[in-house]
Amino acid sequence: MLASKAKDEGRLCYITNCIRYLESRNLSLREYWQAGAELIGGERVGADAEAVALALEMLDSVGIRASVDLGSMGVIRKLMEKYRIRDYKRLVRAIASKSIDDLRKVTCDRDALEVFTILMTKRGRADLIKAVDERAGCLEEERVYFEGIYRALEAYGCASRVFVDLSTIREMAYYNGLVFEIFTPGMGLPIGGGGRYDAMMKDFGIDTTATGFALSIDLCIKAIGVADNSKNNDTLKVYYEEGFREKAIGLARLLREKGRCCTLDVYRGERSGILVGERAVVIGSGEEYEP
Amino acid sequence: MSLDGGRIIFALPNKGRMRDPALTLLESAGIKGIGEERAYLSKTTDPSIDLLSVRAADIPVYVYYGIADLGITGRDIVAETGLEVYELVDLGFGCCDLVVAVDRESGISNPSEIPHGSKVATEFPNITKAYFDELGIQVETITLKGAVEIAPRLGLATAIVDISSTGATLEKNRLVAVGKVMSSSARLICNKIAYKTKYDKVETITNKLKGLSP
Repeated sequence: MLASKAKDEGRLCYITNCIRYLESRNLSLREYWQAGAELIGGERVGADAEAVALALEMLDSVGIRASVDLGSMGVIRKLMEKYRIRDYKRLVRAIASKSIDDLRKVTCDRDALEVFTILMTKRGRADLIKAVDERAGCLEEERVYFEGIYRALEAYGCASRVFVDLSTIREMAYYNGLVFEIFTPGMGLPIGGGGRYDAMMKDFGIDTTATGFALSIDLCIKAIGVADNSKNNDTLKVYYEEGFREKAIGLARLLREKGRCCTLDVYRGERSGILVGERAVVIGSGEEYEP
Repeated sequence: MSLDGGRIIFALPNKGRMRDPALTLLESAGIKGIGEERAYLSKTTDPSIDLLSVRAADIPVYVYYGIADLGITGRDIVAETGLEVYELVDLGFGCCDLVVAVDRESGISNPSEIPHGSKVATEFPNITKAYFDELGIQVETITLKGAVEIAPRLGLATAIVDISSTGATLEKNRLVAVGKVMSSSARLICNKIAYKTKYDKVETITNKLKGLSP
């Protein structure tokens, strides 16, 4: 997908250490390892769908079965305008924490409360935008956009793993349209995310569209560990008695050549694995082991 | 990562003013702890839910990192950590205000009258700093782990930022509240990923607790 020949499009990718400024109270690392892809230019629906599909495909390729939640900074800004809400920071905080209590401090308008409550509490597909638009009446453009995204994601074969949760908000202020977060069961934090940042390109004097995403390599490594553990870890343990190290190494080599993962260690009374002594024996069963 | 992918780990305060109401609320929702009361991890009458008993101040941390899927703790505590978690329900107990208080003889009647460079003692240094930053007053925040009310009388601080529910403790220490920083109460909080990956179970628990809350 990165090998586009379109002249007005740029496809960039990186895997690198990134540095960010964080206040000292923040628990996160200031230096972290990240992989990302950016698509500069291109048609919005197609480019956004490509970014989401590429992220999922990358994760599939390393054995991480992930899902994506889509949000939209465009929807939030249009609703703010419609209901004349001025305090963007507090509104975003209320939405991001799904706190209806905080929302009530931002607006008392009954219609606004109803619309934002749906936006904050419901999770679905493109029809969720339709449900919000039926009440707000100002999201026709976004409705068409999300329907297009889902049609494109169907074509990529990953629509079933993509949801709409309009409380999905990215901390970076430069996002102006679609935003998304990537997550996988067993991990408490999103393993990646991204979105559309057309306005940022203008800051560089380029009038074009732009979308992209980043994956946390550190979290992906942890996620692979979680996925491996969930498969009950099929690494075979080979233990050896004193004087049988070399014989055990030979057995381990044979096993690895046959595609089995195995580790070697001296025998300390472990309960499972293969014990290499005079004979290689499967501990517990007493059966002789012949790779 | 969660301790067990398929289960819900529910974090509750292991002591303090929120523990008993939280346990009572969960029991009303059909979730009752089984086993030793002081255990950090225990099973419940609902086989899909385990309880994690830890300090209320640590609950947002456990929930943010997904060690616990759900938790009950104070709004003030969540705000102090600044961690991103979902606040799904205001549970209506543990109500209190976080206030700015000064010695009643100080002549200060409003937080904006607290002089630049003053020392402010608190258990909530992040909230305190943000509050005075917004007022445009530069203060030195002194973090204490308890008995904050004594600080002005001993000359450690000009003011304190502390929780107050009836005002009796302030009164006893010759303090007077001159400003409200925020109102707080117990909240049901949820890890953002658990909300998505365990949506049905989280929704069921959330709706039960919503129905039981005032």
